[in-house]
Amino acid sequence: MKKTFRNILIASLFSGLLVSCSNDDDTQQETIEGFGDAELFFDNGMAGDALILGGSKTNSNNETLTVNRLNYIISNVVLIEEDGTEYVYPKNESYFIISQEGDMHTVHLENIPAGDYTQVRFGIGVDELRYLEGETAQQEFWDYAAANNMTWTWSTGYRFINFEGTFTSENNSEPLQFQVHQGSNSATDNYREVTLNLPTTARVRVDEMPNIHIIADANTIVDGTNKIVLSENLNTAGTNASIMGGENLILIAENTQQMFTVDHVHNGGGSHQH
Amino acid sequence: MKKLQQLFIAATAAMFLFASCSKDDGYSGIPEDRPFNFEIPSNFPAMAQDIGNNMPTENGVALGRKLFYENKLSRDNTISCSFCHEQAYAFTHHGHDLSHGIDNLLGIRNAPAVQNMTFQSEYFYDGASNGIQLLSIVPIHNPVEMDESLPSIAAKLAEDDAYVQLFQSAFDDGEISSSNMLNALAQFMTVMISADSKYDKYVRNEPDGNMTQQELDGLSLFQNKCSVCHATDLFTDSKFRNNGLPPNPNLNDLGRHVVTGFENDKYKFKVPSLRNVALTKPYMHDGRFGSLESVLDFYSSGVQETQNLDPILQQNNTLGIPLSEEEKQALIAFLKTLTDETFITNPLFYEQT
Repeated sequence: MKKTFRNILIASLFSGLLVSCSNDDDTQQETIEGFGDAELFFDNGMAGDALILGGSKTNSNNETLTVNRLNYIISNVVLIEEDGTEYVYPKNESYFIISQEGDMHTVHLENIPAGDYTQVRFGIGVDELRYLEGETAQQEFWDYAAANNMTWTWSTGYRFINFEGTFTSENNSEPLQFQVHQGSNSATDNYREVTLNLPTTARVRVDEMPNIHIIADANTIVDGTNKIVLSENLNTAGTNASIMGGENLILIAENTQQMFTVDHVHNGGGSHQH
Repeated sequence: MKKLQQLFIAATAAMFLFASCSKDDGYSGIPEDRPFNFEIPSNFPAMAQDIGNNMPTENGVALGRKLFYENKLSRDNTISCSFCHEQAYAFTHHGHDLSHGIDNLLGIRNAPAVQNMTFQSEYFYDGASNGIQLLSIVPIHNPVEMDESLPSIAAKLAEDDAYVQLFQSAFDDGEISSSNMLNALAQFMTVMISADSKYDKYVRNEPDGNMTQQELDGLSLFQNKCSVCHATDLFTDSKFRNNGLPPNPNLNDLGRHVVTGFENDKYKFKVPSLRNVALTKPYMHDGRFGSLESVLDFYSSGVQETQNLDPILQQNNTLGIPLSEEEKQALIAFLKTLTDETFITNPLFYEQT
């Protein structure tokens, strides 16, 4: 019985494949209608290498970072067609958490108008408008964020990026802890958006889900256009570099605009297999 | 046997609950909700909070009040909001310079008054929140105050039939959720308006608004010397300022800097409202002064040139606000006219069981 079921499944998968292949070969002008799904896959890296929690990498500030946590909030996703037409994903559903430790890498989007998309735009963090709308509009995103270490502990704000680990530098051969908590506060709005070009058009169809494979370079957070030297940001006891406020967050906001690149787009597939 | 009895009572209560859900049967176990009637005082500035998506309703306010007095908001079910915010003292922590919290831990700040909240744009001495719907998270999460999480509170409340019923009556989705809890508390705080002091009656030309000459002298001194910061009839500009208090080395509280991380925010604290100030001793962010006399003595001769001292307190090469004894007495006489007996005795804000 079980085997029969599996056979049917395989057969139907196979026929699905054939159908979508023949679509590609279609030379006729196709009418694009209906709605489909799309996925953004966030592949976390560290200056060209894969990000491995517990692994080390020396940056251009000559500091060696061992990353133990990388979580961030992706929001307000917009898919853009070649002619500039924008599809804005419904705001209420457009807040997501990517977490290396939680193995959460995918932003799954549903009911996207079928079309050929050439750009994607998204926010890093939570926009001020959203924050000011209060808890009602945020639904239960606060609880979700709190459960994923993405809320401040001393105020009612979100952490946009939670980047933690240890580091060594010329000044400290013994590893010291670092915590980079990017976010807005009631004084500065550090929410930023990025628009990325897709190297291949992402085809959204009723039966085709494109997967946009994005590389997120965690190294850029402190080692981007702006250089933030952790050993210059130690607490008074000299035991810990905590970057959670002030000018540094504005610099990091600028860095994170260079943090994401689209590596490739998978078309026609189901869910992403890496 | 007793358990059976309880079960029977619970079952009957549940039946009533179902019966009342169909609204046309003429009987309502759950009181039908209606907008909460509250007035915006004519001498107040415009609201600083957008409450459009969370307008107070009768049932929402009743739920918010119950939550305000609810010990289950803390990890070990011992601390409610009212523990540090007592009505008789304009919702401050009477007799405590610093706030007591869970496990008998001590905070680093003096509990601020809870009043006229929707008219303010920033909350807490450091601006830890600027939204009335979210601010309750701050004491709930604080490890030395309530040390709890919203989902955990929701789970505790869901075991209580009274709450199940109240949430159903107050919100469309009827759920015991984080957002509904916060919204109910926000609705309660929205209607906690204090605007019925002798001073209010005076400025609104209402009966019983006769001020003595000394009180009037105090008012005029206040307008000249204090009202830049303690602005409007809220008596605060909701801004963060360093008033030149020597920092307490045991606390080393950096104030606004804790939230923003900016060097120029060090030692700045939110300007508190002075409404009901005669009731809210001790004073200052760390409750260091036990009387209004001490506060005025400080402004008159105790202001120190610390980092980021507000420019307004260092004019004409003079630190602080020099005051004669007579002026101090007049100011205190005026400040006492800001006491609002109606507010501190209003049964609407009592714990109701």
